[in-house]
Amino acid sequence: MYRLFLASLLFAVTSVSALSAAQLSDSAPGYGKLGYPLPEIGSYALPSLGRAADGEILDSSGVRRSLHEIFSDRYVLLAFIYSTCSDVNGCPLSSHVFYKVKSAMKRDAELADRLKMVSLSFDPENDTPEVMRLYSNNFRYAGKAGEWQFITTASQQQLRPILQSYNQVVQQEVDDKGNPVVGYSHVLRVFLIDPEKRIRNIYSVDFLHHELIINDLKTLLKQQAAQGRMIQAAARIDEPGQLSKPGDYKQGYEAESYTTRSLDLESRRGEAADLLGIANNPPLGLPPIPVPADNPLTREKIELGRRLFFDRRLSLNDTFSCAMCHVPEQGFTSNELAMAVGIEGRSVRRNSPSVYNSAYAALLFHDGREESLEQQVWGPLLARNEMANPSVGYVLQKIRGIADYDGSFEAAFDGRGVSMETLGMAIASYQRTLVSADSAFDRWYYGGDKQALSAAAQRGFDLFAGKAGCASCHRLGDDHALFTDNDLHNTGIGYRESMGIVPEKQPILVAPGVVLEVDRAVIEQVGEPPPTDVGRYEVTQNPNDRWKYKTPGLRNVALTAPYMHNGSLGTLREVVDFYDRGGVSNELLDPLIRPLGLSDAEKADLVAFLQSLTGGNVDTLVADAFAAPVGDVGEGDPSWVHGTEVEVR
Amino acid sequence: MWLINRKPTKSLALASALALGTTLFGALLPLQADETCQSPYMAKIVGQEDFVYVWTLGIEGLGDGQDKLVTIDVNPKSSNYGKVVDSLSVGGRNEAHHSGFTDDRHYLWAGGLDTNKLFIFDVHSDPAKPKLHKVITDFVEKSGGVVGPHTTYALPGRIMITGLSNNKDHGGRTALVEYTNEGEYVATHWMPTDQNLRGAEKSGKYADGYNYDVRVLPRRNIMLTSSFTGWSNYMMDFGKMLQDKEAMKRFGNTVVLWNLHSKKPKKVFDVPGAPLEIRCAWQPNHNWCVTTTALTSKIWLIYEDQQGEWQAKAVADVGDPSKVPLPVDISISSDDSRLWVNTFMDGKTRLFDMSDPHAPKQVYEKVIGRQVNMASSSWDSTRIYYTSSLLANWDKKGEDNEQYFKSYVWDGGKLVEKFAIDFNKEKLGRAHQMRFGAYSLYGAVRPEDRDVSVASLQSISK
Repeated sequence: MYRLFLASLLFAVTSVSALSAAQLSDSAPGYGKLGYPLPEIGSYALPSLGRAADGEILDSSGVRRSLHEIFSDRYVLLAFIYSTCSDVNGCPLSSHVFYKVKSAMKRDAELADRLKMVSLSFDPENDTPEVMRLYSNNFRYAGKAGEWQFITTASQQQLRPILQSYNQVVQQEVDDKGNPVVGYSHVLRVFLIDPEKRIRNIYSVDFLHHELIINDLKTLLKQQAAQGRMIQAAARIDEPGQLSKPGDYKQGYEAESYTTRSLDLESRRGEAADLLGIANNPPLGLPPIPVPADNPLTREKIELGRRLFFDRRLSLNDTFSCAMCHVPEQGFTSNELAMAVGIEGRSVRRNSPSVYNSAYAALLFHDGREESLEQQVWGPLLARNEMANPSVGYVLQKIRGIADYDGSFEAAFDGRGVSMETLGMAIASYQRTLVSADSAFDRWYYGGDKQALSAAAQRGFDLFAGKAGCASCHRLGDDHALFTDNDLHNTGIGYRESMGIVPEKQPILVAPGVVLEVDRAVIEQVGEPPPTDVGRYEVTQNPNDRWKYKTPGLRNVALTAPYMHNGSLGTLREVVDFYDRGGVSNELLDPLIRPLGLSDAEKADLVAFLQSLTGGNVDTLVADAFAAPVGDVGEGDPSWVHGTEVEVR
Repeated sequence: MWLINRKPTKSLALASALALGTTLFGALLPLQADETCQSPYMAKIVGQEDFVYVWTLGIEGLGDGQDKLVTIDVNPKSSNYGKVVDSLSVGGRNEAHHSGFTDDRHYLWAGGLDTNKLFIFDVHSDPAKPKLHKVITDFVEKSGGVVGPHTTYALPGRIMITGLSNNKDHGGRTALVEYTNEGEYVATHWMPTDQNLRGAEKSGKYADGYNYDVRVLPRRNIMLTSSFTGWSNYMMDFGKMLQDKEAMKRFGNTVVLWNLHSKKPKKVFDVPGAPLEIRCAWQPNHNWCVTTTALTSKIWLIYEDQQGEWQAKAVADVGDPSKVPLPVDISISSDDSRLWVNTFMDGKTRLFDMSDPHAPKQVYEKVIGRQVNMASSSWDSTRIYYTSSLLANWDKKGEDNEQYFKSYVWDGGKLVEKFAIDFNKEKLGRAHQMRFGAYSLYGAVRPEDRDVSVASLQSISK
C-alpha cells in the first residue's frame, strides 16, 4: 500500500502542472517547447556509439529474461530510473519524455510500430517487479499504442554489469566522514538503440526532448530505408578540384581582399597511374632516365617505394613520411614553408627540394653532398631534425614489425628482406618514376607545335637563352632539357643569409592585409638563433665554396614556390628581380651573376616562360600519389603502448 | 550534466546552461566552485577543489624529458598544500597541450598535438594519484587523417575532439572527431571548406577549414569552433615562423557555427588573426560566446541578435595590438560579468569588465611572469591559477623561459599570490593546461579528514 501511494505521488511530480513556478524556471527543456528548430529529418548522421550490452533482467511479471530479448528487433529507447527518485530533472523527466513519445504513438503508427521504450530500475532492492508494474500504471493515460516496458533486476549482482556496460556510474551518497547515507546520484542518460543493438544517440537533460527523439528515430528509419546510403554522398561539391595546387590557397593573402578557395580533404582522392610505363617512356623533353644496373625498375619495387614514401611510421615518433615535406599537390615540395620543419618541430636549414625529375640529378641535396637516390634516402631518415630515427637498425626492425610490409621486400627483391640497401632501392625506384615534362614549352620547342606556347613565353624564352643568360646554368639540349648544369654556384643569397645585417624592425603579416612592424627583440625572445649555413663549403671545406648551392632544374618551377635554397623568395617575379639586380654582391659571387637591365615587360615575359614549364602529366602523378595509402600507426604496429595494459583494457 | 539525486548533498552539484542552480529534492543549490571553462555537461565541484592536474610538456635534457600529468595539492587545509603530490610520466614528448574530463568526470583525456596520442587518465579511483588508464595510438588512422588532437570536450557519453591539422600536408585544414567515453572512434566531422561548405553559409571572405577550440550552448543548440594553424606552424620555432612569410599566411581566420544536435556547420564567420579559446556565457539569457584573436589581439563577440541570427564582431582590443601581446587563454566568470585574458608576450593577466559584452573594458592587469599562458578560475572567482607554457617551440628562450604553476586569490580588487611552483627547478617541464580534481566528486572525503579519529586514537595510545 505504501509503495502504491508513493508511486502515485511520484507520477504527480512528473506532470508539469504540478511544478511550482520556481521549479519550472529551472526545469529541463523536455518539459516545454523546444527552443530551436529541429534539423531536417535525414539531413544528419547518427553514427554508432558502440554496442548496447545485454544482461539478465526481470520483466514486470517477474520472469527472467535477457535485455536483448526485451529489445526484440525494434528501435529502443532505454532509460535507467528508480521509482522513488524525485529530482524533477532526473527520472521523472525521462518518464515525462517517454510519456510524450508514447502519446505521439497514438497518432503515428510507424513510431508505435518501430520504437519500443524500456525503463530499467537501478534500485533492485526496492523496485521489485510488482513495484515496477504499479509504477507503470501511472503512465497508462498515454494511450494503448506502442509499447513501454518497466523492468528491473533480481539483485545488485545482476544489475552491476549492465550499469557498467552502459557507463552508468551510480554513486551512493556519503556524509562528511565518508559514511554512506541514503541516496544515489548518477548522470542522466537515455539511450537510443537500433535493431542491430548499436547505440545511436545518448540524451542528457539538455537534449532529452520527445521531438528530438522522434526526429532522430525518423532520421534513422529514413536512412535505413535508403539501405545505408551515406548521406555524405549528397554533400554538394561547389567546384571540381584541380590536383596540382595546394589545397589551402593563399594567393593574394597580403591584401585585405584575399578570399579563401580551400579544397576539401575528403575529396582528395586519385587513381593509380602506370608509373613504370611513365618512367620507361619519359614525356617529351626528357631523356631516358638513368637507372643503376643493380636496381632496375620493377612494378613491385615502385609500389613498395610508393608505400614507404607516404608512411609516417618511418620516423621516430610516427609523424613524418617523406611526403610530409615533399607534398604531391605542392610540387612534391612544400609551398607552405620557406625552410622545412622536422620531427618535434625541429628547424631544418633549407627549403624542401622538389622530387620531380630527381631521377636525373647527379648531385643530391642543395649542397650536392650525395650521389644517388638510393643513398640519399638515408639522410632524412637519420637526420636528428628530420625523421630522427636513432639508427639504421631501428628503421629496419620497425618495418619488420609492421604487418603491411610482410613479404613485400622479399617479393620485390627476389627473396631479400628489408635491409639498408633494399629500403633505399625501393624508395629510389618510386622517386625515379616522378618524371614530368611535355609542358607547353616542350610541345613548342621539341614538339614543333607553333601554337603551344604563348607569345609572351616565347619572348621570355629568348631572354632566358639570350640577354638574361639564365641558360648558362639552367641548360637545354637539342632534344631534351633538364634546365641544370648539375653544378653549384654562389648567387649571394646564402651570403646575405649568413652575413647580412638584419633590420631592427620586421614587417610581419598577421592576417590578410594586416602587417605589423615587429621589433627584432620580440622575434629573438621567442626564437632560437638561426643556424649558420655556408653551403658547399660544409662538404668540401674549401673556403672558395662558401655559399655555393646546386643549380636546380626548372621543370614545374611554377608549382614549387617559395624559391632558392632557403625559400626566401616567394614568387617567380621576385626570383627574376633578384637576378636582374645581379644577385647579392660578395667576394665569391659567381661571375655569371651580373645586373641584367631587364625592363618590366621583359621580366613579365621571363615569368611567362617559367610558367610554361609545368609538365603535362603532373595531375597524373599527383592523382597517383593521392591514391597511395598514408601509413599511420594502427593496431599491432610497433609502439610501446601496444600489448601493454593501457591498450588491452 | 545533470544528476539524479534522492537527497541534497554537499558533494555534487550541477552545471547546466539552463540554470545556475538546480533542484535537488526541490531545493535550489547554488554552484560555488570549479573552473568556468568546461563543458556544461560535466559534473562540477562544490566548495574547495583538492587538486589541480597540470598537463606538462617534457623538455629534452630536463629530468626524464617526457610529458607528464603533474598533480598539485591546492586545498589550503591539506598538509601537502602547495606541493606536487604526484607526477605521472607518459613516454615521449607528444606536445602535451589541452585536456578535458568525460561528462561523468571519471576520466581525463589529454591530447598530444605532435604524436596524436590521446592519454586517458583515471582520476576517480584515487584523485590524488591519477592512473594512466588507456592510450589511443591510432587517432590519425581512425579519423581518416586528422592530426593534432586539441580540445577534448565532454558531450553526453562521448568526447568531441578538435583536430588542428592533417596527415597530408601538415597544414591547417582539419576536422572535429568524436569518440565514446570508452575510447571508441565514432565519427569525423570535417570543417567546411570552399570546395565543400557542407551546407554552411560562408558569411564573409573566408572558409579556411581550420579548427582549434570547441564550445557549446545547449539551450540554443549551437556549437562553435575557432581556428589556429597546422602542425608545421604550431610545432615550429616561433621566431623562425615569424620570419617565414609563407608560414605566416597559414593562420585561421574563421569561427564556425554548428548545429549541435546534427553536428552540421551552419555559418562561417570571418574572425581574422587566429581566434583561439572560446568561452560561452553561463547565464540563461546570455546568448553569446567570446574568443580572442592571437595575432590581431582583439576580443570577438559571437552573439545571437534580436532577429535570432548569429553574428560575430570585434568588440575590444587587448593591449596594444601593434606590439603583438598575443592573447592566449581566457577565463570567463560564472556570472559572465568578467573575463580574464592572458597575454603571452608581456606575461600579463588582464581583467575585462564584460557587463556590456558589446563593449568590454579592461579594469585591471598584473604581470604574472615573463611569459604566461593558461588561466583557470574557481567558479566563485576567488581562486585563479596560472601556468606558463604556450607550445614547446613557441615558449621564450633562455632566462625568459620561466616555467611555473602559480596560485592566486582575487580579493575583489587585486590578485594576491598564495604559492608558486617552479617547474624548471622541479625538473618537471613546461606547465600547460590545468584541470581541477576533488574527492567530493566521487562521494569520498579527503583521507586526512577520514583518518582524523583513528589518528588521534593512535597518538593517545603511544
